[in-house]
Amino acid sequence: MKKTTATLFLFLFFLTSRAQSDFSSVKLKNMSGKTVDFSDLVNQSKDTMVVLSFWATWCVPCLTELDNINEVYDQKQALKPFKFIGISIDDTRTAKRVKPFIAGKGWKFDVLMDTNSDLKRELNITDVPHVVIMKNGKIVYQHTGYIAGEEDNLFEAILTL
Amino acid sequence: MKTAQRLRIILSFLSALPTISYAQGQAVEKYIKGRFNGSFETYSQYYLKNKIVTELPQDRVGSNNFLKLDYNYGKFTAGVQFEGYLPAVLGFYPFVLEPKSKIVNKYFKYTTDKFSVQVGDFYEQFGNGMILRSYENRQIGINNAIEGANIHAEPLPFVKLKALYGRTRRFFDYTNTLVRGTDVEFDINKMVKKEDSKVSATLGGSYVGKYQAFSGGGSSDDFPSTVHAYAARMSLNAGDFNIESEYVQKDRDPHLLNNQSFDQGRAFQVDAAYTKNNFGISATFRSLYNMDFTNDRDEEFATIAPVNFIPALTKQHDYLTSNIFVYAPQFRGETGFQTDIYYTFKPGTPLGGKYGTKLSSNFSLYSGLNKNKDIFSLGRERFYRDANIEMKKKLSKSFELTVGLQQIFYNASVIQKPELGLVDAYIAGVGGLYKWAPKKSVRFKAEHLYSKENEGSWVSMLTEFSFSSPFMFFVSDLYNYGTTNIHYYNVGSSVTKNSTRFSMSYGKQRPGLLCVGGICRFVPASYGFTATLTTTFSN
Repeated sequence: MKKTTATLFLFLFFLTSRAQSDFSSVKLKNMSGKTVDFSDLVNQSKDTMVVLSFWATWCVPCLTELDNINEVYDQKQALKPFKFIGISIDDTRTAKRVKPFIAGKGWKFDVLMDTNSDLKRELNITDVPHVVIMKNGKIVYQHTGYIAGEEDNLFEAILTL
Repeated sequence: MKTAQRLRIILSFLSALPTISYAQGQAVEKYIKGRFNGSFETYSQYYLKNKIVTELPQDRVGSNNFLKLDYNYGKFTAGVQFEGYLPAVLGFYPFVLEPKSKIVNKYFKYTTDKFSVQVGDFYEQFGNGMILRSYENRQIGINNAIEGANIHAEPLPFVKLKALYGRTRRFFDYTNTLVRGTDVEFDINKMVKKEDSKVSATLGGSYVGKYQAFSGGGSSDDFPSTVHAYAARMSLNAGDFNIESEYVQKDRDPHLLNNQSFDQGRAFQVDAAYTKNNFGISATFRSLYNMDFTNDRDEEFATIAPVNFIPALTKQHDYLTSNIFVYAPQFRGETGFQTDIYYTFKPGTPLGGKYGTKLSSNFSLYSGLNKNKDIFSLGRERFYRDANIEMKKKLSKSFELTVGLQQIFYNASVIQKPELGLVDAYIAGVGGLYKWAPKKSVRFKAEHLYSKENEGSWVSMLTEFSFSSPFMFFVSDLYNYGTTNIHYYNVGSSVTKNSTRFSMSYGKQRPGLLCVGGICRFVPASYGFTATLTTTFSN
């Protein structure tokens, strides 16, 4: 097994053809139940920033953060357009309440479902809330946890990076 | 390879990581292709003597550590996960008393748009997970990753296929059971070429087979070595309205946890939701009988190496007092439902005020079955009922108020221990968030739980201060003034920088069910210090 693993790693290193992005084709679902491919999302966005905010319906700081972002969303978009996506890591237990939950909240941004935590694992995220900013297929900013007011740091990063 | 040797290898690799992460010079970029990324997490405790502690561990230290490393190059991904319990924290893996560490997960994956194959340890879920789910929950201590092969394919534009086989992880080893499974999902809109339709529908089905050699006495014909399970599901999405349902069935599967029952297991779940301008409502019905599905028929605990996933379908509360009486699903037979309503009164309306008002309410009710085996017969024995409502309102630019009310009926005799009886509890809570300057805020919450049963009434408070980001301080207390007069207090602080977070706390842990994601484990009372560190890194 060890030998096989080592060979596989070597094999990887010496591969010459390079793919578009170094993110796997992780499948997420939108609110209409349609599949969205994460690597397509990253590739298509190019130099427009993609802000991924990992959250769950049971995570209080996540909800405070997203409510606060929603409040100033239009205002911040006017300064510099960016793509903001809430990635719900709610599993089978709470996944079904996500759609009515966000409708009730009236959030203006898109939400995608990562029910089996595939994207969370792909990006090596341990806890929610966790924010990732991607630009040109690369991660340019990451922040874990949330304290009231920290959304200012996020908007600062969006403007400056 | 000895543990010490392994640790040395891991440490030397770790020491090389900063070079990979930070040396972003062109030289490195030129030679290292692809993306390295990983995460590290430690949860460590130091235990002190106290009257609430019944048994102080000989080794006063408990430490759970996780290191995950992945490498991605185009369509290829490979990774490992190393875990060290030095030894495990209290109430965690009660069977692993000796410190132990090991590379537990290894995988290699090739992914394209329409096809993927993963060999090694993987996580997977079919439908709602009622016949198969392998996942990781570090707080509860579940990792039932399957070691084997997992293939996803789209042979036709409207067909999604999954096929897997392997053996399930059990602590540092694997079960002696072989799991095989396949799942198929049809996209009806793509099939009939009406992709632009406002109505969309899918149909799906799965099969799981579990083989464990029969080693007992008597005839193995009577005692099934292979257990088959089947599932069928559908979903319909019509814009504002959607409905999903799944029916599962498990053939005879006598094991320790179901008292060697030869009965077939069954479950049925329906979820429906409706949404419209600032309004959302959802309802879930689920009924099940004999759905404990473990890898090993001699397993004593349902949370060790399960094949499926049956969570409690109730609201996951964030109140300290609400988490005293948490429902745990009754695999042997239960029927029930829950509903949720969410509504926002818009700013500028009479009830919305200047900033709007957010309302959410949830109701759930679970009972036993009337007749065994019949999942559509409502029994008289009630297990759990929860009615709650919460209002969140911003009163000014800097202050937000939360008010919550909850009533719980909790059948502790069924959910925990027979001698505990029935509990009725009433909870009222008030909370606030005051932000007086950028990045300076204080959050507080006070709750009261009234009950005549169990340990009687409780009161709790929580305060969080952040004077200057990235620091946060908190103080909390959960006090039982009904019977025990014990204060379960905690004080602590955390500091966050980018994707790294460190926190320390000191205080007492209440004994009882610790539930995360609808799955619970029992934690004993403890007193002492806790430190956690989590970090995510990549090149």
